[in-house]
Amino acid sequence: MSSSSPTAISPLRRLAVHSTTTCSSHAAAYGKCILKSYTDMKKDACKDEFEKFGKCMHEAMKRKW
Amino acid sequence: MNALSRTAGGLSPFSAVRALASVSSNAYSVGPYQVFDRNAKRIRKERSAQVDGGNRSRTVDYLRDEIADRMIERLMDIKRTYNSVLDLGAGAGHFSKLLEPEITRKSVMLDLSQKMLDRDDTTEFAVEVERVQCDEENLLETIKANSQEAIVSCLSLHWVNDLPGVLIQIREALVPDGVFIGALFGGETLFELRSSLQLAEVEREGGISPHVSPMTDSRDMSNLMGRAGFTLLTVDVDEVKVNYPSIWELMDDLRDMGESNAIIGRRSFIHRDTLLAASAAYKALHGNEDGTIPATFQIIFVIGWKPSPTQPKPLERGTGKTNLKDIL
Repeated sequence: MSSSSPTAISPLRRLAVHSTTTCSSHAAAYGKCILKSYTDMKKDACKDEFEKFGKCMHEAMKRKW
Repeated sequence: MNALSRTAGGLSPFSAVRALASVSSNAYSVGPYQVFDRNAKRIRKERSAQVDGGNRSRTVDYLRDEIADRMIERLMDIKRTYNSVLDLGAGAGHFSKLLEPEITRKSVMLDLSQKMLDRDDTTEFAVEVERVQCDEENLLETIKANSQEAIVSCLSLHWVNDLPGVLIQIREALVPDGVFIGALFGGETLFELRSSLQLAEVEREGGISPHVSPMTDSRDMSNLMGRAGFTLLTVDVDEVKVNYPSIWELMDDLRDMGESNAIIGRRSFIHRDTLLAASAAYKALHGNEDGTIPATFQIIFVIGWKPSPTQPKPLERGTGKTNLKDIL
């Protein structure tokens, strides 16, 4: 029940915050790439864009996964 | 030799392994195909009703309250008064709260989750309420056949495995000329979330898995209602679009509603990379100009009556006396 207390910020919440603020430009670049290729999606179609997005997130979260 | 190795290697040694495969829950049984994990659904609902004393659940009432509001109009259109109304899958009583003493004396609320039923105090209801924990899929075990004047169901039938079977049980539970009014999520509900998660999973992991439930179509609903033996059918579709700041708030709210994934064979987690990818894909594909993201909920409303000899019936073909040409 710790997640219900307002002061505790869950890791998922932090992920949400950083992906929409700190790294939003990288997220948008990745989104643009998806938009370009969504009719014929393949694995790693937007690998470069995601790597930049992921790197930014790792730095913002100060951890890797 | 071939046959021998099949019997030796095929059945017995693998039977222990086989039982662990949750995807094929129906492999050795007859009966309706199981899509949803009802027990997981019950636990989700119980949990969502308890977090923060039910306040989290109350903040996400907006969707159910809106649909309940649209559904009560349909009940009011029927010029009848009832002694008792059965609210199937009542949740915290979103629909029953809108009932007035002029329509019914009493409401019997039925739900899979007792905690959800007990979330709100009796003072919030204008009519007498009774709360009964029961699985909608086994309705007739709790409710006697030919006993209900009116049955309503507001946004719970989309988690039922055997929808044709439940509709038949509802018809059985009604008295002749009794009415059933239902609302369920269907059609294009959450198609934005479904497509972004699929794209993200393909791009990041190279495959897809079920995250958003399969939905009933409005055409299926009229067929199923007819097949279950209802007459004088009305089926219509309504849409509610909700804007959220991002995919994260949408998923939080779905969880607080107790509506998170309960498909049998679901993956128990989503990889962080996939979630991040989905959040970006959702915004790029479906996002609004102001930076928010829309989520579509399509609701199928159905009204059906249990047949009775006193009901009006269509005349036989060819018995019409007026020529339509003269009118048009």
